[in-house]
Amino acid sequence: MSNRVPFLAAVLTVVAMVGCGRNPSVEQETPQQLAKVEWPDIVARAKGTGVTMAMWAGDEARNRFFQGPVTRTVAADLGVTLRIVPVADAADVVNKLMTEKSVASEARGSIDVVWINGENFRAARQADVLWGPLADLVPNRRTYDADAGTRDFGTPTDGFEVPWEYSQFVFAYDSARMKDPPRTLDELRQWIARHPGRFTYPAIPDFTGSAFIRHVLLHAASVSPEVFAEGFDERLYARASQAALNVLREMRPNLWRRGETYPATPAELNRLFVNGEVDFSMSYGPTFASERIARGEFPPTVRTFALEEGTIANYNFLAIPFNAPNPAGALAVIDALLSPAHALAKIEAIGGMLPHALASLSEDERRKYDALPRGAATLPLDVLSARRVAEADVEYLIRLERDWRRTVLQP
Amino acid sequence: MAIVTAVGCLALAPLALLAVTSLGRRWFWPDLLPPEWSLRAWQYITSSDAGVMGALATSLALSGVVAITAVLIAVPAARVLALRRVPCKGLLTFGLLLPILTPPLAAAMGLHAVFLHLGLADSLAGVVLVHLVPAVPYATVMLAGSFAGFDTDWEAQARTLGAGRFAVWTRVTLPTLAPGLAVAGTFAFLVSWSQYLLTLLVGGGQVLTLPLLLVSFVRGGDEAVGAALSLLFIAPTLVLFAGAARVMRDV
Repeated sequence: MSNRVPFLAAVLTVVAMVGCGRNPSVEQETPQQLAKVEWPDIVARAKGTGVTMAMWAGDEARNRFFQGPVTRTVAADLGVTLRIVPVADAADVVNKLMTEKSVASEARGSIDVVWINGENFRAARQADVLWGPLADLVPNRRTYDADAGTRDFGTPTDGFEVPWEYSQFVFAYDSARMKDPPRTLDELRQWIARHPGRFTYPAIPDFTGSAFIRHVLLHAASVSPEVFAEGFDERLYARASQAALNVLREMRPNLWRRGETYPATPAELNRLFVNGEVDFSMSYGPTFASERIARGEFPPTVRTFALEEGTIANYNFLAIPFNAPNPAGALAVIDALLSPAHALAKIEAIGGMLPHALASLSEDERRKYDALPRGAATLPLDVLSARRVAEADVEYLIRLERDWRRTVLQP
Repeated sequence: MAIVTAVGCLALAPLALLAVTSLGRRWFWPDLLPPEWSLRAWQYITSSDAGVMGALATSLALSGVVAITAVLIAVPAARVLALRRVPCKGLLTFGLLLPILTPPLAAAMGLHAVFLHLGLADSLAGVVLVHLVPAVPYATVMLAGSFAGFDTDWEAQARTLGAGRFAVWTRVTLPTLAPGLAVAGTFAFLVSWSQYLLTLLVGGGQVLTLPLLLVSFVRGGDEAVGAALSLLFIAPTLVLFAGAARVMRDV
């Protein structure tokens, strides 16, 4: 038979490939075991190993910074080979971990460090797919305020993730088109009513769009926005969401394309903004406009503002998956990423805010921090910190997103 | 001729737009062309820090192996399906096509669980195997078409004239089937080349291919880098189709 040769070749190829499959079960160190190990010994164990970190990677400057300087610093200082795995959404990683937990919970996984927060952290905790608690094992955790990131969207972190970066929501406008941007949510509402079709926000479940409607929730009820961070209260939600959804429904006919459609992502909103179809953009990153101006994606006249009654600010976090192949290496890398030196280098390279307690910076670091250039579109730190509210409990987020779909998207 | 030119322009217009987007800076409405030009996106994707060249090499090697393996599996399957009497042939064909008939997400999640059980997740070997799942049906269907028009008497005649088994295969069967093999291989390559979900789930991020990077950038909103990566992504497709067209014309 003339066709036996290729068939045999195919079978052999498949058999050879199956033979290459990795040996799945390898002893993993527990948090309790590593808690008994002195830090220099953990660093010594990490030396010469590889660490895989999964992080959102949709930003060229960020990718360039992590694939380049960060990877090189980690290799030089710790002797660790850092591998960055790009993910489009941390939810993908949590789903993968959940599948791995249900199918092969004893097997070694592939990811050592994951960049995470909010809903994804809560889902990961509920499914018990994180390794920890790890907060006390990372020395540089102490360069952050002690109460920083003890809650993540209201969910107690319990040391299963450590605060890493700090962010605050801002709006962007073009000063060449608009001289006097709204200062409060109420002024923004009036502006939208007077300028039909010139405002929109990314549709839920987009992260940025969801943050926008949370601002309406936090500021629509006449209570201090901070109470939303103190756990979920059914009665407060009923009152606040009714007011907020009314505001959003009233806004809808005056949105871009009469609110019949929304941009799906911040990227689409930014495109509408720079092409002059709408007059505002928004982001959970206070330096985003300066970064985009530098890249030539925003005109140099774009500026940002924060609402006078406050915009939402929050930490995001680093965590270790339950089946991480190299927890000691993961701890060493997380410690390096939590250092003020890393934060300063990052602000210089790609922008962002300093997440540390200023008091924990050395004199040298403080001088370096004060000398960092701030993009023209970025608000001064004192303005941002004066207009800051905590992120609401994640239950408010889930309920508001659901009710927005039911009553604003399809009234 | 005019129609060919028009179709050609229509096909090339999106590519030209991608090229301009990848090189443009501060390109906002109502400008017809970018007011500034910049090599930023191309410098980035060719820099060693971006990992694009590594992903390109992985994608090329991965899809090459998948294409060759898929064709090797498909040749005997297609021959039997096209030339022999097989019981329940319809059912067999249906089973063969099932992987491409089921919704990709459902198939991908189930395959991920199976691969985890087998210890094949998060490895290159696992990704090759999982890409074969959709690639083999395409290759088999393509080749079955070729075999349907294949007359086995040519092989018999060569044997009668004293040709050995190997000579029959290389001098009669292969040349006759060449166009079919080229098309089947091209399709298998492209099926593998464009996989996002299967690579993401089964590769677990350990196997970094071009589509994974492309989706990250397009979702992240960096249009210049997204456009440059798109052009890089399309290039092998154009080369392959040109090659396959040539094989078919030569025969």
